[in-house]
Parts: sequence; structure tokens; C-alpha cells
Amino acid sequence: MSILVRIWAFVCLLGVSALAEVSFSLSKDGRSFVAAGASDPEKLLVHVDGDGDLPAMAGEVSLIERGLLFSPQFPLTPGVRYRVSVGEAHRIFAIPESDKTPVARVAAVFPSAGILPENLLKFYLHFTEPMALGEVSQNVHLIGRGGKVVPLPFLELAEELWDPEGRRLTLFFDPGRVKRGLRPHEEEGRALVAGEDYELRINAAWRDAKGRSMASGFSKKFRAGPADYAQPEPKGWTIEPPALGTREGVRLNFGEALDHGLLERVLKVYHANGQSLAGESAVGKGEKEWHWKPKMVWGAGSYEIVMEAILEDLAGNSVARLFEKISGMTETSVVPGHRLIRVPFVIKD
Amino acid sequence: MKRLLCSLVLTPLLASTASAESKQPQSLGALEFGDDGILFAADAKGAAVFALEVGGGEQQGKALKVEKLGEKIAALLGTKADQIKVNDLAVDPKSGVGYLSISRGLGADATPVLVRANGGKLSVVDLAKTKSTSVSFTNAPEDKVTGQGRRKANKRMESITDLAWIDGQLAIAGLSNEEFASTMRVTAYPFTGSVGTTSLEIYHGAHGKEETHSPIRTFMPLDIAGEPNIIASYTCTPLVCIPLAKLKPNQKVKGRTVAELGNRNRPLDMFGYEKGGEGFILMANSSRGVMKVSTKDIGTIDAITQRVAGVSGLSFETIESWKGVVQLAKIDDKHAAIIRKSDAGQSLEQVVLP
Repeated sequence: MSILVRIWAFVCLLGVSALAEVSFSLSKDGRSFVAAGASDPEKLLVHVDGDGDLPAMAGEVSLIERGLLFSPQFPLTPGVRYRVSVGEAHRIFAIPESDKTPVARVAAVFPSAGILPENLLKFYLHFTEPMALGEVSQNVHLIGRGGKVVPLPFLELAEELWDPEGRRLTLFFDPGRVKRGLRPHEEEGRALVAGEDYELRINAAWRDAKGRSMASGFSKKFRAGPADYAQPEPKGWTIEPPALGTREGVRLNFGEALDHGLLERVLKVYHANGQSLAGESAVGKGEKEWHWKPKMVWGAGSYEIVMEAILEDLAGNSVARLFEKISGMTETSVVPGHRLIRVPFVIKD
Repeated sequence: MKRLLCSLVLTPLLASTASAESKQPQSLGALEFGDDGILFAADAKGAAVFALEVGGGEQQGKALKVEKLGEKIAALLGTKADQIKVNDLAVDPKSGVGYLSISRGLGADATPVLVRANGGKLSVVDLAKTKSTSVSFTNAPEDKVTGQGRRKANKRMESITDLAWIDGQLAIAGLSNEEFASTMRVTAYPFTGSVGTTSLEIYHGAHGKEETHSPIRTFMPLDIAGEPNIIASYTCTPLVCIPLAKLKPNQKVKGRTVAELGNRNRPLDMFGYEKGGEGFILMANSSRGVMKVSTKDIGTIDAITQRVAGVSGLSFETIESWKGVVQLAKIDDKHAAIIRKSDAGQSLEQVVLP
């Protein structure tokens, strides 16, 4: 700025600026404001049009041939009116509102089953568009008996749990109410009670990342079933090996629904010699199965599906350990969370 | 007899890198001041913590006071108030200047902005011109198996629930958006290139139940009889006291549960202070009030061993006059900065500690 001020002082000395009439325009690229005929960088101000005591918009003023250029530090926002001024002279620029036609929908909610354990730990909400962050509490409700809203069923956090794109929300139930022996559980009980019917309701008013409301709301109706206090047990899983010489998928059946987010991430396929194999995976219906289709043709030999022991069921019991343990209850497998579990299969000649 | 105690299991270190390059944060969340005007800022999207050299300087002597905070920040950033989210607030103890981490925009691609509040004046901190270093960690530390070819985009993220500057070390609490597990990372500053990663677990003996691996929501340092401790609030409500000296890799450490919160008291933020020779913890509970907990007996109180009616462990009171407080930051032992939400909008205020 100080260099600009010096240039301005020089221009003033030449007697150019004092006579010029100021006219305002948007720059050709639509990102900056031009004050033609203006010369005092200190006087060129841009305000969001509104109450008088709002601070001026942050940006830089530079000297151009026609006068001064205000380059905002942040992009101009559609739907905002900007007041550009030099002393008494000013002009309002209304930036056209962006298209607000609603497009976002709920693409899927996991777990997908109609009966869920009363100690369910989380929902994953998948959206077709990146969504606005910070709007979960006013737009997601759990409706219980008699159509009444269940108060505070979910974990409150300062920062919501989204994926990097803002398309998937992880919604944890309040663990203090899910786990037994804690004050919230004893005072308020679980949000879900076995045998009762519920609805997870998502308001269409929820904005997407572009500020558009959703094309439609969403409702998932389900019944709460008995609590799940058992760990996923790999010994009970069944595997359907593919046929030799094909590109068929290998299918791993868990016999119970497991966590969708972790199923997408923690399972891989290896040749028994330790070589990783390229292919594509998919979570099967009801999150009870995992499929994997290779890029190559299966040859005879030994293979294994390798997964991290952090893989959880719907109640947060992982292969490594129970979510909550009752004294005297034996964990079927207690392994450190970072350990790998291997499920071998053989393709015979 | 009912038993309630907490244990921590420390897992091996995770390598990470420190960088002195002019890297920019991809998001700005939790803020915490270290010594000498260093502001630590959590960047969950970039899986990093930045140390920004913004503070220091002389005491400004002007009390923080900004009415219509949301509208004013929006105007400064050239946008509408509904496009602005205030993520956290911290006050430089040396200068008394406040810093707010802001998201400009609605989605995950929102622009991170650091706004400075000096008395009643707001300005944007130019992060590109601010001297900074950062320490980064991977968002998928458990995802060690790679090389699968066309892997789907990794949806795993860790939010950084809190930062605390404890005895020359920065502690970083993380919460995954997939597995229900807690990560506590501890690093020295200036950043040295490695971060100790600790998985925190909590076991309950109350009512014959035992509880495991609940994430930490917020935590703070507290000296007890001259020894540095962490006071941690878990997502499932116990308030736990953990001696910092015991936080070592590959060791199981027992902490003490010193209060069990209920009645919808879920601290989102907290700090400690002294008044009249007595120690207190102040906790913000979303918009449902602020609690003041006496730490007078924290060094001597037994771990909670029995459920009693009402409040267990340390005594606490709700500060009735502090309604609608959504952000809370310590200025000194006499003052705090708060952001209060009311019908008139959000305001930043300096208040006397209760």
C-alpha cells in the first residue's frame, strides 16, 4: 500500500486526479471492481450492502491506467449486493443469484436393514451432492413412538464427521446412552428400545454445499431389535471361491451385517505369496457380504482375504474386541486393533 | 463393591513429517495458544496441525467486544452471514487479541480463514504471509495394506476434537468417522518430524460393566501437586485425570475418573483457572450452559467407586448467567472470551470468570 500511496502522491503532484470524475464498473473477469478516475487508494472501499456499521471487505487496491482496481481477498458471492465507494461517490453492484434449483438427494443410508440392534452405534448418510456442514442437528431427527421426536439421540460434536468431499456423514449415537453402567444410559436410556418402531427423518431444507435445499427429504423406517453384545467371529464366516480360469468374484459371507464404511476400506485380497492383487470390491446386500472381482484371471493356488481387526459390526463390536464388556463375559478374540485377520481360500487345478 | 477406573493403552509411534514450507491449511478448526504467541491450528482436512506465529506483542488493553459477530465477519469476507461458520476461538494471553477460525462457504471445500479480533476491530490474518510450520499425519493410519489398484477414494477422516499445550508438548485428540476409536497424538514444538500416537481406552468397573475405547471429546492441562496432568472428557461422559508422565508408548496406564457427568452435560470445550487460591475448570456445554467444577479435591479424591444420586465425584455448578455460550476461551486467570448466541445473533464478549 505504501508504494501505491507514493505513486498516488506523485500523480497528485501532476495535478491529474483532482479533476477526474469517478465511475465504477466490474472488471472484465467479473472478479474485481474498477473505480475509473479515482486516485486515492485509501478512499476506495467495498462494503457488503447492509447496516452502516459493517466493516469494509478485505482486499487490495492497485493503481491501473484508468484509475484504481479493488481486488477482493475472497471471491464475490452470488446473491450479494456490494457497495463500491470513493468518498461520496458510490455504486451498488448486485451479483446475480446462482441457480437454486434443488438437486441433492439422499443416495443411501447404512445400515440398510429394516431391523437394527438397539445398541446400534452409527448411521452413514450418503448424499448425491456435497452438503453444507454444520447443519446436522436441525435436519436429522429420530422419530419414535407416537410420532414423537427422540431427544438428543446422537453424539454432539463441535465438528461433524464427514468424508473429505462432504458427501458422506457419519452419525454416531450418543455412546453415553448406548453403553450400560453410565449415567446418561441410566438416566435417559438408549435412544432405541428393542421392539419399538422408529423413523430416521432427513429434512429437505438441508442445504447442499452450494446453498440449495434438497430435491426431497428422506425417511428410513426401521424396528429396533435385541442388542448385539457379540463380536464378529471370522471362524463362522463362509467363503465362496471363484472358478479356475475365470474373472468371477470371490464372495465372503459374514452371517451378520457389518459396518459399511469399514467394509469399503479394510478388506484386501492377496496371493498367499504376499503379492497384493488388483481388483474391485463391493459391499453385498444388507452389508452381510463382501465381493471382490479381480482384474486378472484366477490361477490355481492359495489366496487370502486380509482385513484389519478394527472391522466392526453394527453395535461397534470389532473383530478385535467388544464395544462394552460385561464382567465375566469372555471376548471371543482379543487382538490389538491394528492386527490383520486372514481368511484363506484355495483355487484348485 | 462397584469400581470405576480408567486405563490407557499406548500403541507404537506413527511416523509423520514436520515441514517449514509455506504450506497452507485446507481447513481450520480447533485453536490453542502455546508459548510466545504461537497459535496452534487444527487442519482436519489436511490431516495436519499448523503452528502460526501470529501472537505476541504488547497487551492491547482493549476488551474484546463485537456485536453482530457473524454479520461483521461475513462483511469482512465479502459474503452473507449464512456462508460463515465460526469453528473455534482462542485469545493470545500476551496481547489479549482474539483469533477465530472460520469456514467461508458451506461445504467441505469451504475456504479456511483466520480472523483477528483486536478490541472491537476485526481483520483477516494473511496466512500466506504468516510464518508457520506444520506437522502432518495420515488420515488412514490403520490402512497399511496398499497396492490394490483402482482403490476407491478413501472416505476416512479424522476430526481433530481438541488441542492442548501441556508442559511444552502439543497433544492432539482425534476422532475417526469410521471405527469408534480415539487417537491421542503428542508432539514437541518446534515440530521435530515425529508424532507419538496413542490409542486411549477407558474401562469401567461400575455396575459390573466394563467399557472400552471411548474417544476423548475435549481435554486440558492441569497441574496437580506440581505434576502435569491431562483432564479429559470422554464422549461417553466420564471426566478422567491422567498424569502426563504416564503417557508413554506401549504402556497401559490407569487414570482416575474424578467426575461422571450426566443430565446432558457434554463438554465441548474447557479450561482451568484459579480464583481466590482455589482451582476451577470451566466447561462449555454446547448451548446448554457453562459448568464450573472445583478442582480443590482433584489430587486427593478417590476414583469414583460408587454411583451416588445426582453428581458423582467433584462438585460442579451451572453458571446460570452464561446462557447461550457456544465458544469459550481463557484470556487470563480473571477473564474469558465467549461467543454468545442470542436472538440478536452472535456476539464476542470479554467476561469476568465466575
